[in-house]
Amino acid sequence: MKKMKIFTILALVGVAFATFSMADSDEYSKKSYKKYGSKYSVAPVNNKLYEDECASCHFGYQPGLLPKRSWVKLMEPRELENHFGDDATLEEEDRLTLLGYLTANAADSKYNNSRLSKEIAREIPRGLTPIALSQTRYFKHDHDEIPKRFIEQKEVKSIANCAACHTTAQKGYYGERDIVIPNYGRWDD
Amino acid sequence: MKKVLWLFLLPLVLFGADLNPQMQKYMEELAKQAKQENPDFKGFDYKRGEKIFTSTHIGKRGKPISCVSCHTSDLTKEGKNINTGKVLPPLSPQANPKSITKVKKVKKWLKRNFKDVYNRVGTAQEKGDAIVYIVNKK
Ligand code: HEC
Ligand code: HEC
Ligand code: HEC
Repeated sequence: MKKMKIFTILALVGVAFATFSMADSDEYSKKSYKKYGSKYSVAPVNNKLYEDECASCHFGYQPGLLPKRSWVKLMEPRELENHFGDDATLEEEDRLTLLGYLTANAADSKYNNSRLSKEIAREIPRGLTPIALSQTRYFKHDHDEIPKRFIEQKEVKSIANCAACHTTAQKGYYGERDIVIPNYGRWDD
Repeated sequence: MKKVLWLFLLPLVLFGADLNPQMQKYMEELAKQAKQENPDFKGFDYKRGEKIFTSTHIGKRGKPISCVSCHTSDLTKEGKNINTGKVLPPLSPQANPKSITKVKKVKKWLKRNFKDVYNRVGTAQEKGDAIVYIVNKK
């Protein structure tokens, strides 16, 4: 009888656990956000032109991931002509609109109160103007434990493909609870 | 006069139901231009479009690539950008009603993508052929 009880309790715990694990990443994200606030998140993209022009070839990197000077450099017409080997040129009007959007919401913009953005702005040395967050020392420090094969696999392809592992990257959330590496699983260390 | 009329009617006959008015107009412009570039031009062709889309070339990054590399050979399925890993919406309007509806977007991507694959811009005839293939491929 006692055995039976224990078994029932174990089964219930099992079910509860499974339900918890199945809860979609939205749930995780809400919980994590409550717990950590903006420590692991930046403001999501909320600009249709940006989505159309800058999120067609890759994940739409949020303005809060790079400082102003980086966006200014990336958005120069000559830079856009040869943007990581691609042609990302824009009509002048669109270019100026997007430049305004990016700088107003940049990591070091005074309107930006995300702690993650502030950390990024602080960690990038003053004398440097990187246009790839993934090439910064700050970023490399967080990602250097990931085995190469998980990055090179076809589901990821590039470490700049943020949303392949950060399941709530679209919402601007990069905390550990929402990291699922394809063909590996949740990342807990 | 007769020739001019023929040029304008041809695209309508070919695409009538498949393309929206702004895209039909763009196809007419391409046909006119193709005729100027090549007096023997007789209209866009699915088979030529298929070859343009599926054949492999040394692209602008110096590596073998084709349109299929990113858009796959089943245009009703999602593709994947080989440079960034990002998933692409299906190219076929049969699966993705928004595809091939905005002239500005189509022009922009044909310019970029011909450079990706052929390391040069496409001719009017090549662009028209490719569109006919994309729209009609089952
Ligand atoms: C025609 C394709 C294309 C378009 C359009 C495009 N990009 Fe890119 N972008 C790339 C490629 C390719 C890379 C390199 C990605 C990689 O290394 O995985 C890149 C990388 C980046 C990176 C660096 C990511 C990192 O941390 O390594 C940023 C930032 C970026 N793009 C911003 C933009 C912005 C802003 C726009 C709009 C003005 C834009 N991109 C439009 C192709 C494009
Ligand atoms: C291959 C999977 C993968 C990709 C792609 C990836 N990340 Fe990460 N990221 C991780 C992992 C794993 C960690 C956790 C490292 C740790 O804390 O051990 C991490 C941590 C982070 C953190 C720190 C969060 C924390 O908990 O401290 C940020 C911010 C972040 N990533 C942003 C990005 C951005 C922005 C991109 C795209 C430019 C990106 N990541 C691409 C796997 C990835
Ligand atoms: C390097 C990857 C890549 C290659 C190679 C490529 N494309 Fe694309 N193509 C894209 C991307 C990215 C888009 C934009 C998808 C989106 O956001 O809707 C696109 C869009 C298009 C569109 C516009 C679709 C629409 O929504 O109206 C056409 C047409 C097109 N491609 C044709 C071609 C042709 C023809 C070739 C070969 C000459 C080709 N593509 C090769 C990546 C590629």
